[in-house]
Amino acid sequence: MIGNDLVDLQAASRESRCSRKGYLQKLFAESEQIMIKTSNHPDMCIWTLWSMKESAYKIHSRKTGERKFAPTKLLTCGMEINGEEMTGSIQTEGSIYFTKTWIRTNYIYSIAAESSDALPLIFTQLHFRPKQLDYRKHQPACVSHHGDYLALAFCY
Amino acid sequence: MDKQELINRLKPIVSAYAQNKEALDSINEQTDFINDLKINSANLVDVVLDVEEEFDILIDNESMESMLTVGASMAVIEAKIKEK
Repeated sequence: MIGNDLVDLQAASRESRCSRKGYLQKLFAESEQIMIKTSNHPDMCIWTLWSMKESAYKIHSRKTGERKFAPTKLLTCGMEINGEEMTGSIQTEGSIYFTKTWIRTNYIYSIAAESSDALPLIFTQLHFRPKQLDYRKHQPACVSHHGDYLALAFCY
Repeated sequence: MDKQELINRLKPIVSAYAQNKEALDSINEQTDFINDLKINSANLVDVVLDVEEEFDILIDNESMESMLTVGASMAVIEAKIKEK
C-alpha cells in the first residue's frame, strides 16, 4: 500500500490560519512543534510535516480499517534533506511508514510506503488545474487533490 | 440543547470549509465531513477550533479523534458541555 498528499501552498495560505491559538497543539506532537517554532519558514515546515503525516495516515487507515483524526499520534521520527527532496519516517501505533517529500515554490508533495525500498517504485502524475476530475479510469493507488493540483500516485 | 439546535449551530461552522455546498442542505447526523462535505483534511482542525469557540468548550486530542462526522462531533460537544 502507498499513500500520497499534496498541499497547494496558495490554497493553504488562503484556507488555513496556522497562527490560531491551539492550532499547532492539535496537529503536531511536541517535538514537531519545536521544529516548527525554530524553523526559518514555519509555514513551510507546518505543511511539510502535515503532508508527511497525511500520506502515512492514508496507508495506516486503510491497513487498520479505522478512520480517525489523530494527527498528533502520527509522529515524525526522521527527516533527511537532500537538495529539494526530503526523506523521512512516520511512526504511529506500532507501525512505521517511510516518506519522500518534494518542497516546491507552489506546493509540497509527499509519498509514503511501508518500506523505504518501495519508495522508488512509486510514480506520480501531477495535474495542474485538471479540466475533468474523472481520474478513476487511470486506477491510481492513491489520490490527493488540493487547490489547483491533482496528484495521482501509482505503484510499479 | 436538543439535537436540531446543535446541528443548527454546527452547520455554519462546517459551511465555511465545505466544498460540496449541496450536501449542506441535507446535513444530518450521518453526514461525513470529508466524504460528504468534501472538507479538506487540513481544515478539520479549524472545524474543531471553531467548535471550541462556538460552544465554549475544550476538546482534548483524544476526543477529537472521532470528529469526522456531524453525529460524532455532536456526541463530543454534548459530553464536553456536561463536563463544564
